[in-house]
Amino acid sequence: MSISLPTWTRREIPLQGRRSRVWAIIGTGLRREIRRPAVIFAVGVGTAVAVITSIVLAFFAPLLSQGRPLDLTFFMTPASSPGIFFFSTITAAAVGGGLIADDLDTMALTLYLSRPLRPVDYLTAKAAILAILTSLTVVLPLLLTPFIGALLGFFAWDIALEALGFGFLIGIVFTGFLTALALFLSSLTRRRAYAAAAVSAIIFGTSATAGVLAGAASINNAALLYLSPWEDYLQVARAAFGVNGGAIDWAVALAILLGITVVASLATWYRMRSFEVVSG
Amino acid sequence: MDDLSVSIPEGSIGLVGPNGAGKTTFLRLLLGLLRPTSGSGKALGFPIDDGIPIRERTGYMPEHDCLIQDMTGIGLVSYLGRVSGLDRGTAMSRAHDVLQFVGLEEERYRKVAEFSTGMKQKVKLAQAMVHDPQLYVFDEPTTGLDPRGRSEMLALVGKIAASQGRNIILSSHLLPDVESICKYVVILDGGHQIAAGPLSQLLSGAQDRLRIDVRGDRNAFLGVLKEAGIDADLGTTGIHIARRQGVEAEVFRAAKASGAEVRYMGAEIRSLEELFLELVDRPTGGK
Repeated sequence: MSISLPTWTRREIPLQGRRSRVWAIIGTGLRREIRRPAVIFAVGVGTAVAVITSIVLAFFAPLLSQGRPLDLTFFMTPASSPGIFFFSTITAAAVGGGLIADDLDTMALTLYLSRPLRPVDYLTAKAAILAILTSLTVVLPLLLTPFIGALLGFFAWDIALEALGFGFLIGIVFTGFLTALALFLSSLTRRRAYAAAAVSAIIFGTSATAGVLAGAASINNAALLYLSPWEDYLQVARAAFGVNGGAIDWAVALAILLGITVVASLATWYRMRSFEVVSG
Repeated sequence: MDDLSVSIPEGSIGLVGPNGAGKTTFLRLLLGLLRPTSGSGKALGFPIDDGIPIRERTGYMPEHDCLIQDMTGIGLVSYLGRVSGLDRGTAMSRAHDVLQFVGLEEERYRKVAEFSTGMKQKVKLAQAMVHDPQLYVFDEPTTGLDPRGRSEMLALVGKIAASQGRNIILSSHLLPDVESICKYVVILDGGHQIAAGPLSQLLSGAQDRLRIDVRGDRNAFLGVLKEAGIDADLGTTGIHIARRQGVEAEVFRAAKASGAEVRYMGAEIRSLEELFLELVDRPTGGK
């Protein structure tokens, strides 16, 4: 007779992959952000303004066109709305300012990066949180106006679809720019307020300063408008919707927006690598 | 860290060393957060170059306060479970289980910001446990706790250490904590490993030596011992002599001659603190 002892093996809980971990951060991050008063104001009012503006513009398109045919150029009107500029900037400041800074301040970064996540996963999740909220004020009006306009029969569907495509692309470019800049500034400090102030100061400050200096009689140099992200965005939008005008080249403006987005993203990623997750 | 070669068995391992000894660097290497400039290593059978599979199976309890203050205890622990890879249902169920285990069943729906230091430490422990890891890394788990909280935390860590299939690495300056929990210890100093082995073996010292504690003039006593031809030296834990036939009688004769009183003579039994001090106080810097 032989007796064998029972063997014991530990059963591991099955874990899901990186994508679901990133989605967990995005979902929880969005829920936490939309409870903050500043974010409720920026995103809530900004989205409401964007939606209302889009609907109003779509309803009054024939009136606003002043007898001209309703073509792609009409969609420059919602794209150049000051509401987009204002609310997208304060959304980027209110949300983006704290996304990394808060985790640095509370040292919660340790909780994330001591888990099976890479810095790029963490940054992707944080960028997605900000991009989703910012796009509500940037991309939404660019999509809603042609869609509602086409539904009302004011625009042919081929024109509306073209406007939807261009609107989506330029909206994503500007959202990406704001997201990358805000996250980079957020990674430089532990204070949400400092990062938020820096985002607002850079966007509003450069846009106002570039506009004033470019138009000043003593300087009168249109190239200074390249310093303004908003002017860069407007010039790209003009090119997309086939509107003439603007004092700068759209290709250079687009290159500036994309270049800053890439450089800020790389710089943020580099900053992330330097953070000490386990400190002694 | 330089020239570190260590093989750590399963079980409860203490990682001790003075500030700057390399404990934190060792933990970073172990978790795959830092890549070695040369050499290689494996943790739980996975190369440390890629930390993801290791961190999937590791629960890290940091020393410093790092909790997300505006979340509830249950919300935070289940969220971190999902970040570790658990699905939503499992994460929530595990979060309830581990918060009950650490004794925060009643407080789990309160915000972390309202928790006391002891409760925060327990939440940190719970978040390390939520995905049921094979390896726990505890970094100073009793920091900032009052005696009761420290005792509770040590009891919880001890329970985990006693569970089958779970291993712990306990990094601490509080050597009695390490001594009470761990069965194996790694002592680092200046980036080097200066001792590693089963705690019982390290603390028992060499079997061919006797330790003597005397009251009186120790140097005079040591001198008499040496004059008698006994291999003796003065260590931080007492006088050590080579064990041989009839040496006990010679020790008492030397004590009488030097006017000293022998208070202990026997096998070397040190506390971890005594061993640690002995090793790091060596003039070679512990090497």
